[in-house]
Amino acid sequence: MGSNCWLGLGLLTMTIQQKLEMFDNDEQHLIDTTYTKKVDVPLYVPKYEKPNIYELYDNLKAIKLIQKINNSNVSEDEKKFLTLAAYRHIIFSFAKIADYYAHSSAEMQELMEQSALVIVDFDKAIEYGFVALNNQLSNQYLEEQSDR
Amino acid sequence: MIDNFCVFILSNNRHDRVYTYNTLREKNYTGKIFIIIDDEDKSHNKYIETYGSQVITFSKDEVAKTFDIGDSFDDKRAVVFARNACFDIAKKLGYTYFMQLDDDYTDFRWSFDDNKKYVTNKYIQDLDKIFKIMLDFYKKTSFTSICMAQGGDFIGGENSGLSKTFLDGQISRKIMNSFLCSVNRPFQFVGRINEDVNAYCYFGYKGYLFMTIAQLRLEQKQTQSNAGGLTDIYLSSGTYVKSFYSVLYNPSSVKVRQMGQNKKRLHHSINWDATVPKIISEKFKRYDVSQPKTN
Repeated sequence: MGSNCWLGLGLLTMTIQQKLEMFDNDEQHLIDTTYTKKVDVPLYVPKYEKPNIYELYDNLKAIKLIQKINNSNVSEDEKKFLTLAAYRHIIFSFAKIADYYAHSSAEMQELMEQSALVIVDFDKAIEYGFVALNNQLSNQYLEEQSDR
Repeated sequence: MIDNFCVFILSNNRHDRVYTYNTLREKNYTGKIFIIIDDEDKSHNKYIETYGSQVITFSKDEVAKTFDIGDSFDDKRAVVFARNACFDIAKKLGYTYFMQLDDDYTDFRWSFDDNKKYVTNKYIQDLDKIFKIMLDFYKKTSFTSICMAQGGDFIGGENSGLSKTFLDGQISRKIMNSFLCSVNRPFQFVGRINEDVNAYCYFGYKGYLFMTIAQLRLEQKQTQSNAGGLTDIYLSSGTYVKSFYSVLYNPSSVKVRQMGQNKKRLHHSINWDATVPKIISEKFKRYDVSQPKTN
């Protein structure tokens, strides 16, 4: 088994927290020292490779619909409307989109954010919030169970 | 009591079976509760007799003008009107935060212990504290709405979908039943039925954030044994029609498929990868060094 295969298998079995740590070991101490229990954070970790932009969506159904619309006898305005509606059938892969985002230029990233193609956890609000939530719930659980 | 927060219980035509009210009090929720009913409810006076000034009545026709019902039918036996009315009611009452509950909750329980071990018979005792914990998280983050899980999410126990999601360190981007909301983070429930699924798919697709807190769960009265309320419309049209509303709103990522082992039924099936944008760490963002950082 080649080293790349081993790396791939390793990534599959890692927790999200471990994957995040690989990207930035320096920040690990923030979580370990701030909270009593280590909790997986619910963030998506983009892959190392940038996907081809054509992998981000599947527009087969939309293309088929648009072909039918173009071959039809409805008015031009109706064709315009139906064509716009056909785009509703494009299937986006938000995982691939996040992978693509991570390897894109600042300008491309900005435009992707504005279109809500990814949600960026600014200032780790979700990451820290989620850890704090889990910590508070654990404490509350223990408090309630010890009262019984 | 939690500042600037209240609970809305949505009810219809069953003033004598608002189970959630007593369950909340038994579980030590000490804050404000309002029962939300519509102006077409024939048992209006009975609600008033029982709950007095805690009853808030809204106009179904007025609320109907504010959102997309998703069809051309005229059956108004649906909860979507009340769900959407709550934002305006909270504003008028002067509350920023509110939790929207149905009227058939019989219990609130823990789903996981402090070591993430799946549990079923651990009962929540202090809802004041639980709601405060939820609200603290909600205020610190940009989620549009968060909720507790429901008993039905855990069919299959620790092998259920939600349990696996939680144990895998992921979050469920659904919201059902117990919606913690803010008047400053408005969204709409859309479609006559399946309005909760429609909302988290339709708005989730656009980048609105929703989350189910898997550790907490509510238990409901068995649907078909609690007639009145919203049950009738589901029984009359079945899950086939119900599920298709979500396909209407998200045709690229929601399908209807057959579910169940013994008792087959049609149900919506969500392709999550095609429905909600991923949440990623800011460390993957590149900043143009000539521009100041803006969130």
